[in-house]
Amino acid sequence: MKLYDYVLSPSCYKARLMAALAGVKLDIRPVDFHPGAEHRGPELMALNPAGSIPILEDGDLVLTESSAMLVYLAAKAAPQWLGNDTAGEAARVQQWLSFSHRLTASLGAARLHEMLLRPGNIDVFQGQGTTALRELEAGLVEQHIRGQRFLASDRPSVADIACFPYVALAPDGGVSLDPYPLIRLWSRAIRGLDGFIEMPGIHRLHELSPEPVPGEA
Amino acid sequence: MSRNAMIDEWYPVGLASQLDAQGRKTTLMGEPIEVRLGDDGNAMVTGGNGRALPVCVRYGHVWSSPGEPHRALFAIPEADQPGRRLVDVGVVRVRCSPLRAVENFLDIAHFPFVHTDILGAEPHTEVQNYKVEIREDEDEVWATQVKFYQPQAARSAEGGITTEYMYRVPAPTCSILYKTCPPRPGEWDVITLFVQPLAEDLCDVWPWMALFDDETPMTDLIHFQQTIFVQDRSILENQIPGLLPLDPGMEIPTRADLTSVAYRRWLKRHGYTYGAQLVAQ
Amino acid sequence: MPAQSPVGPIALWRSRSGRAAAFADRCPHRGMRLSHGFVRGEALSCIYHGWSYAQAGNCLRIPAHPGLAPPETIRVATHTVEDSGGLIWISVGQAAAPPPRLDGVTPLRSMMVEADVAALEAAAGAQAEGGVLDHTHDGRALRLLLAPEGEARTLMHVLVGEDANPTERIAASRAAETLRRAAESIRRGRAVQ
Repeated sequence: MKLYDYVLSPSCYKARLMAALAGVKLDIRPVDFHPGAEHRGPELMALNPAGSIPILEDGDLVLTESSAMLVYLAAKAAPQWLGNDTAGEAARVQQWLSFSHRLTASLGAARLHEMLLRPGNIDVFQGQGTTALRELEAGLVEQHIRGQRFLASDRPSVADIACFPYVALAPDGGVSLDPYPLIRLWSRAIRGLDGFIEMPGIHRLHELSPEPVPGEA
Repeated sequence: MSRNAMIDEWYPVGLASQLDAQGRKTTLMGEPIEVRLGDDGNAMVTGGNGRALPVCVRYGHVWSSPGEPHRALFAIPEADQPGRRLVDVGVVRVRCSPLRAVENFLDIAHFPFVHTDILGAEPHTEVQNYKVEIREDEDEVWATQVKFYQPQAARSAEGGITTEYMYRVPAPTCSILYKTCPPRPGEWDVITLFVQPLAEDLCDVWPWMALFDDETPMTDLIHFQQTIFVQDRSILENQIPGLLPLDPGMEIPTRADLTSVAYRRWLKRHGYTYGAQLVAQ
Repeated sequence: MPAQSPVGPIALWRSRSGRAAAFADRCPHRGMRLSHGFVRGEALSCIYHGWSYAQAGNCLRIPAHPGLAPPETIRVATHTVEDSGGLIWISVGQAAAPPPRLDGVTPLRSMMVEADVAALEAAAGAQAEGGVLDHTHDGRALRLLLAPEGEARTLMHVLVGEDANPTERIAASRAAETLRRAAESIRRGRAVQ
């Protein structure tokens, strides 16, 4: 499976993270998104006329939507991540998968504006991002009351991976996560999963590594 | 505000490779400027009131100044050595003091915690003594014999090695790092941090590299350096105070911070205080 | 986690053994916010250079100098913490009295409201007394602890009856969202006038 990837893209990271958690090895093809704008060049436009990355290629299957990539990776290698045990759980997975696009359009756009100088109305991006974060926080509060740590159930699903990157990187776009205690807990739960990998801007949990013993360096 | 000595310095304002007639609107020390390709095929920089600003094109970037530079842009002789690949890493904006951005670049002790498993890793956290001086002839800050354990020193490095570095600050918002070059022992890779101050608490950072590496694809080289810098970005946006404190008392340096101490002293001596805080508050 | 106090931002953290502590949210080394740090055992470490601090605020370890015992002078300002009834209380300086007892209620969630206490009172149709606002919505009682953060923001801790079942708690959380919307709408209305 080949992933057309940009190391700073949260959407590309979704696919990398899901693959790592599912134990799938990806063939990474780096794309010079910034500063080179290679995703708008002829080779990648031929693969994805929308001019966006990531692109996941497996034989003649070409996926250009990150949520579809998460479902594909999970269905192939880790079906428990699909989260479809009950009607409610399956519906919640779809609810948050759809919701994740609002995070991309708000927090993601704010981040591109503040970090890579992309144009747009930053106040609108940040305002819509805050609205989305409040909905996510409320959803996590209700899950917490039900005794469930993740968005669709008590175990992580593709829905969590679809929402996690843009939320965790919200401060890159000038949107603070300080007001959202449940989002912080949920983010820690995801970062603590076996097989978790980081991306620039999302630090690993150093608390999971042992304190070095003096004299053993 | 009194005239700041930093007004007369050179600053990066765009990538030379992206220069076009349409132009790029940006900001330099609070002044809106426009960078574009003139009719004569040369780079032009225009200030807020339409005045022409000084301009030169060097090291992959267009450089300008809001004042009157007393000297040419600093030299990087290695950049002209044959066989090096020149890498335009591209711009990253950071909501921090331009001086904090440079100081972080001069720091190695954060590698195990911020660039974990790439530039450093526990338990290899010790910073051994190194040499720091302000070279009076060149009027530059230099740190030499800096050694640190690196699990993955560069794209072309496999496995952990002890890497040696030299740091050089030739201008208040620019730093050059010379680093052990795995494919060519005896030579140094050149990695720079060119910082464009937009405001005292906002900057555009333009990393640039001149490397001996014929193997690694260009995109991988760009992504490696962007990874490193964006890992630093979340630190830089969360330091308190936002401005760099030049007077002692506000922060506690150790032996590992001697480059930072010399940098702050050099800034203060020259009155390079745009982005700095003078009295401890 | 980050929090606010009358004397500025604080880093609130709980050690492995479960003890809570409140530090000034700034590492004395290079000013990095300690609320970005990590907890190992009984110490909080700064994410920037790994300097670690004991609950009393003294520096335990400087990783760049593993052989060095950090001098006593390197320390973070701390605040007194009381961990009581599911709430963390801090006092700046010596506490005059222990935190109030909140019998019969239990914490549900904390929310940031982009409005002042007056707007929350207007939205709830009730007056706050000593930072406590009792609000009834659809026959359900919410007890709200209000901590103003500046002129225009209030951190609102929502408490519900101890005997509330999950359905009632979810309804209470939604009622608190409704109250926040109303208070922010009042605040925006005032700002326009």
